[in-house]
Amino acid sequence: MKGGFMPLSMVNPGEEVTLMAIHAGYGLQSRLFSMGLSPGVKMKVVKGAPGPLVVLVRDTRLALGCGMAHKIMVR
Amino acid sequence: MDRREILDQVRKSSEHLKGIFDDEVETIVVDRRYGFINGIYKRAVSRPAIERLSASDKIDRIVLNRVLGIPIFLFLMWLMFKFTFTLSEVPMGWVESGQEWLGNVCSRFFPEGSAFQSLVVEGIIGGVGSVIIFVPIIFLLFFCMAILEDSGYMARAAFVMDRFMHKIGLHGRSFIPMILGLGCNIPGIMACRTIDQERDRLTTILVNPFMSCGARLPVYALLIGAFFPEKGGTVLYSIYILGIAMAIIMAKIFRKYLFPGPTAPFVMELPPYRMPTIKGVIIHMWERGVLYLKKAGTIILAGCVLVWFLGNFPWNPEYSKDYDRLKQEAMSDLASGLIMKEAMDETIANLESEQAREKMEKSYLGHLGRIIEPVVKPLGFDWKIGVGLFGGFIAKEIVVGTLGTLYAVGEADEESAPLRERIQKDTWPDGKKIYTPLTAFTLMVFTLLYMPCVAAIGVIYRETNSWKWPLFAAGYTTAVAWIVSFIVYQGGKLIGLG
Repeated sequence: MKGGFMPLSMVNPGEEVTLMAIHAGYGLQSRLFSMGLSPGVKMKVVKGAPGPLVVLVRDTRLALGCGMAHKIMVR
Repeated sequence: MDRREILDQVRKSSEHLKGIFDDEVETIVVDRRYGFINGIYKRAVSRPAIERLSASDKIDRIVLNRVLGIPIFLFLMWLMFKFTFTLSEVPMGWVESGQEWLGNVCSRFFPEGSAFQSLVVEGIIGGVGSVIIFVPIIFLLFFCMAILEDSGYMARAAFVMDRFMHKIGLHGRSFIPMILGLGCNIPGIMACRTIDQERDRLTTILVNPFMSCGARLPVYALLIGAFFPEKGGTVLYSIYILGIAMAIIMAKIFRKYLFPGPTAPFVMELPPYRMPTIKGVIIHMWERGVLYLKKAGTIILAGCVLVWFLGNFPWNPEYSKDYDRLKQEAMSDLASGLIMKEAMDETIANLESEQAREKMEKSYLGHLGRIIEPVVKPLGFDWKIGVGLFGGFIAKEIVVGTLGTLYAVGEADEESAPLRERIQKDTWPDGKKIYTPLTAFTLMVFTLLYMPCVAAIGVIYRETNSWKWPLFAAGYTTAVAWIVSFIVYQGGKLIGLG
């Protein structure tokens, strides 16, 4: 995937990626923002799909549902 | 400034910021906020230069594993109940003998046969005492739960269960109120506030009563102690798992028929693992456990006194036989040499227990029991259990308190035996035992599932702001309880268990 974005759900555990965009409605987007998931932030996937993911963002461990991880585009 | 001006200013400012940064205002605010946090953090915290795989990551890799996650959760739960049950046996014995001693002292202290002696020994010591006995088990269970919570595992449990919860149309977040419900349903129901979608929130509230709270533990502990002494931990575990399973099944049904709609997205913060401190765990255990003690001294005390009153009055009912005259006759038979001493003692003892039984059947409680009995008979319960379950609506411990009071009545002048032994011996009029292991298990199932206590109903009303949901919750849980108990009892009898 040269240069393109991919959904967070496709990232393998242990990989570090940068958040590029969130394809979701206004409510969900601002909720994720306030939890520190804003564009440009670096995140490390601790546990990947299938099933819910665990990502390390700004020294916080977040659990994310798989459906949500599909909507988070990273590079 | 009036409101319009403020709103105008907000709009103007956000347009202005958008012009400068070329981005949405939310994004800018979040970026700045975390930038600010980062700045302070960099100045205040120093950390090793080499980034290593932290201990939390390592533990998470195993605990959150796709295959191992659920078995690990189930195993930890089992360990918790095994530990609680095994370790509580000894201190429970102490409390029990202390209570027996107190009962015997008090029955000598008050005038024999007086209503006051009966109130203190049967009503208060028999009723409240039978609830107090289980303090050690409650504290130990809360101790274990505090360890799991403080270590950070409970949040992982929600994560692990997300896959399950997803299948039923809820997400892992709904599992947290359910886990809290294991302590007490009231904080569990209140914790549903953090669920932002209304249909998810209502579903989670409505199934929360199936999570077996601490107040139900005395009922299990009594029955397990009497009928499953060897397999205590496992039986207890199976009851808790049944509660979780029923909650999940009902949630699935509600989500499908009552509140259809897509599943809300799941985001949750996982705290890092920490070694729980002794002090923290003890404080957590104490805070919750002490509520149990307070309840025993207030609402359960009141409930037991009420049960004692209803079970003892009218104080001198009209008996079908003249017991006093029959006793006199037996004594004069001995005097005139017609019967031996043993025969007389036996006749008198039989007469006394017959009288006690008749007195209770003619009491207000006996009348109430007769109304309830047909409803609970198909589940293998007698009217005493029926009355206990009826009282359990006030607080579930009262099921045990009522039985404690009912079985203490009419036996105050004898050495008081523990309630556990009394229920083992009780029989139907035809001589068959009322309590078999199957009845005991059915009673545990019924207690687990039926109508939430009055306080929980009140909280459901407050949280949903209508009487519709609390009444619905009370009705459907009782229906489910009856049906499941019926299947367990009649099914068990069919395969020859009872």
